[in-house]
Amino acid sequence: MKADAVEADRREAVRRAARSWRQAGAIDEATEAAIAAAYPDDRARVGPVFRVLLFVFTLVAVNGAFGFGMLLVDGFRGSGRTFAVLAFVYGLLLAVLTEWQIGSGRRCQGGTEAATSFAALGSVLGATAWIVFEGMDLRDAPALAVLFLTAALLLAGAAWRWGYPLYAGAAAAALLGALGTLPGGRILWIVLPALAAPFLARWADAARLPPAHRASWAAVLVVALTGLYVAVHLGSFDSSLIEELSDLNTLRGMPRNELLRWLSAAAMAIVPLVYLGIGIRTRRYPFLLVGLGTAVASLVTLRFYVHLAPLWVVLAASGAALILLVLALRRYLDSGADKERGGFTAEPLFEDAARRRLLEAGAAVVSLSPEARDLREEPRFTGGGGEFGGGGASSDF
Amino acid sequence: MHPDVADAIPRLVAAGILPPERAPLLLRVARRELVSVHWELRALLYAGVLLLTGGVGLLVKENLDRIGPVAIAVGLGLAAAAALAWVVRAAPPFTWGEAPSPNLAFDYMLLLAVLLFAAELAYVEVQFTPLDADWGWHLLIVAAVAALAAFRFDSRVVFSLALSTFAAWRGVAVARLGAVVWGREDLVRWNAIGCGVLFAGLGLVLVRTGRKAHFEPVAVHLGWLLILGGMASGLGRDSWMGWTCALLVTGTALAAGAFQFRRFPLFAFGVLAGYAALSQLVLEIDHAELVGCFWFFASASLLLLLLIVAQRRMKEPL
Repeated sequence: MKADAVEADRREAVRRAARSWRQAGAIDEATEAAIAAAYPDDRARVGPVFRVLLFVFTLVAVNGAFGFGMLLVDGFRGSGRTFAVLAFVYGLLLAVLTEWQIGSGRRCQGGTEAATSFAALGSVLGATAWIVFEGMDLRDAPALAVLFLTAALLLAGAAWRWGYPLYAGAAAAALLGALGTLPGGRILWIVLPALAAPFLARWADAARLPPAHRASWAAVLVVALTGLYVAVHLGSFDSSLIEELSDLNTLRGMPRNELLRWLSAAAMAIVPLVYLGIGIRTRRYPFLLVGLGTAVASLVTLRFYVHLAPLWVVLAASGAALILLVLALRRYLDSGADKERGGFTAEPLFEDAARRRLLEAGAAVVSLSPEARDLREEPRFTGGGGEFGGGGASSDF
Repeated sequence: MHPDVADAIPRLVAAGILPPERAPLLLRVARRELVSVHWELRALLYAGVLLLTGGVGLLVKENLDRIGPVAIAVGLGLAAAAALAWVVRAAPPFTWGEAPSPNLAFDYMLLLAVLLFAAELAYVEVQFTPLDADWGWHLLIVAAVAALAAFRFDSRVVFSLALSTFAAWRGVAVARLGAVVWGREDLVRWNAIGCGVLFAGLGLVLVRTGRKAHFEPVAVHLGWLLILGGMASGLGRDSWMGWTCALLVTGTALAAGAFQFRRFPLFAFGVLAGYAALSQLVLEIDHAELVGCFWFFASASLLLLLLIVAQRRMKEPL
């Protein structure tokens, strides 16, 4: 990210925090306006609805242009080579267009620059896929390895230059995919995330980095933790999920024996607990989020392997237990001094907007219903701003 | 951790912008010394309600013979009554305005009570067939009960459930009737549009009368989705021309109206519907790939310019 984009990103983090403080009633509109004046915005931003519309129609326009150009150059022959060359050149042009929008155009959270960056990456990766599978005629596993590695490098570069955490997470996933094609890929999926996690967690909080890059490291951390869990998961072990990537080239992964299987089962139970433990101790959201998700996945897997009870009993009992657990947890947190325990509270504080929307969207998708009401209590706050956004970056992307 | 925010707070206090008494708590939060799990607990509660009702549904389906119909019916009724009793005990007094939720679990317990009641009714209907061939009416009863509960306890979640159940009742009723009288698809489509108009009108009434006016977005959004979705479902049919024109006109009118009143989601619905209809018209007129690609490039580019102009006038908040 350029220096001016970094500065804009930092200022946006403060303004976003001020917006959340005002929404929770901690400050009034005049104070928010004063904060916005003290940390002025020099970027062209749009709201979420227009951002989505501009993103969608930019994608339609650039894809229409590519199709039109392809038909003009190639007629209706459908040559793969022409497609690859055109896609590569077009991808570079779109990357330049993105650079221009974010740089000179000072666009940020504007929809169009996100769409051109997305199309640029898609075009170059499409060209790369044709080159490795058709042009170079590589076998499946090496071709996949090259494609994954190229994707990881491109996505990481885009995340670093343009500040999109989503690309950073996708780059980490692509890197794991590339590692999966190597012999002993499963070991690498376990060892590398375990070694990298402390550094990723530190970088996700590093004050010297702009908010968009911190959010990018947090996204990489989430993917790394998820990858580690997948590698130790009993179902993935039994189905050779990771080895499938190298099997295409007859490269075998881990030797299979009962001891490893039992170790996998034990690790599947322990890893979520470790994540949750670290999350509770350090109050780091990625660990809490992945810990919760992997704990649910482990319980579902347990039900798949061990017939504890009929499904209706499992569903009803786990639902009732979950409700009681939440109510007990709420009571436990409320009973602490200032309704806090260990730095946690169940009060409706100022939430990071992206985190709140993520949870609301999850519930709304399941139910097709609006979110529940806010509570009667006077809200306090959790610090807004900065985590997943800014500098052209936003988890709303 | 929000280092930039933590860094800014003392400066804002020193500059006299931020009240000093607010700073300590803000700083604690920015430094991640205090973290709220409020939304996570709400999400877990919701998941718990869904799991519990899912389990109850399976219980009814799989254990009919073992437990017996009366035991199941009584059990479900008692569970629904217990959840409702908890809600009634905790509920604030009725108001036509917006009432804050008395506690974290309130909306979800109300949802649980309504879903258990719906399961009870469905079970009684299947087992004892009191409505016989008119079983579809039980959906209307559920919709009415959910609507009453939504208004009494001021729950938008349950209000949304009431509207969608009402639309489902119309769908079931029409599907049964349509086989005899008219083309089933057309009837379902017209009913979807009718429900949509009814919901959008209901939203208008709620705002005009000032009674539960905060329910209006739920009714209006669902209403317009049904109207536009109903019209869009006719695009691939024999009578596509009429439905396409209707969608084009309706979508454009909706976008124009939403632009006037700064209703951002409705504006998006209208733009997307109008563009889909116009593209359908163009592509039906000329099937050539070259024309199609040029159309999408040119039309979307022009629309982008229009959207940027519209955005500057509407000024959607970030």
